[in-house]
Amino acid sequence: MSRIAEHPILGTPERGRLVTFSYDGRELQGYEGEPIAMALHAAGVMVHRYTAKRHEARGVFCAIGRCTDCVMVVDGRPNVRTCMTPLAAGMDVRTQDGIEPLDPDDPRAVRLASMVTDAAERGGE
Amino acid sequence: MSDEAVRMTTNGASRSFSPAPLDRSRGLGDFVPAPDEDVLVCRCEEVTKGDIRRAVHDGMYTMTEVRRYLRVGMGLCQGQSCTKLVRRIMAAELGVSPAALDAETSRAPMRPVEMRVLGNEEAAGGADAR
Repeated sequence: MSRIAEHPILGTPERGRLVTFSYDGRELQGYEGEPIAMALHAAGVMVHRYTAKRHEARGVFCAIGRCTDCVMVVDGRPNVRTCMTPLAAGMDVRTQDGIEPLDPDDPRAVRLASMVTDAAERGGE
Repeated sequence: MSDEAVRMTTNGASRSFSPAPLDRSRGLGDFVPAPDEDVLVCRCEEVTKGDIRRAVHDGMYTMTEVRRYLRVGMGLCQGQSCTKLVRRIMAAELGVSPAALDAETSRAPMRPVEMRVLGNEEAAGGADAR
């Protein structure tokens, strides 16, 4: 996974300083001020939440803050649109299950954790 | 083009225009399942195209009725993703133009806001917010 280096309309993104944040209790790195979703994508995180009724995995869909598909629990607040919310150092970002944080012992949480490991080890750049 | 039609096209079409109620006495025929019934239309409330088509056959002839029946467009994004799709699916099922359907009720806010912010108790995103 990688970040956009050159955008046809927005140009070259300005990067803030490299900061550490928490994703489901695991330490990841991202650039301060970039959307949380961008840092997660670079780390290989595709699943942001599970839906309340059908328990389906959801991630980035519209990426412009309209569809609310990418919402996660950020610093204890559910329904935070990660595609719009700037990353800050020390943020606690958690996969959302319905409206709650996903239980770390849930088999889905274990599977998600195993998926992000490889990408994080590759450097997430 | 009549004055009314001109006003419709320049004013943002159906928003400012209340179409005549649809004739509920006419039948729609039997519900014929299509191969794409499982397509998700409302991503927030998890409503499929088949759900919407069936709702029309159940007698929901207006956007307002379908919203109350299925909760389409009443989830977190408030219909920003699905409203146009719902309108087109309903119009196709009813055999009318999408503009012939009523305008759905749109209300502020257009982004997720916590109830305590609406209640003016705290500023949005307060660090001590609970």
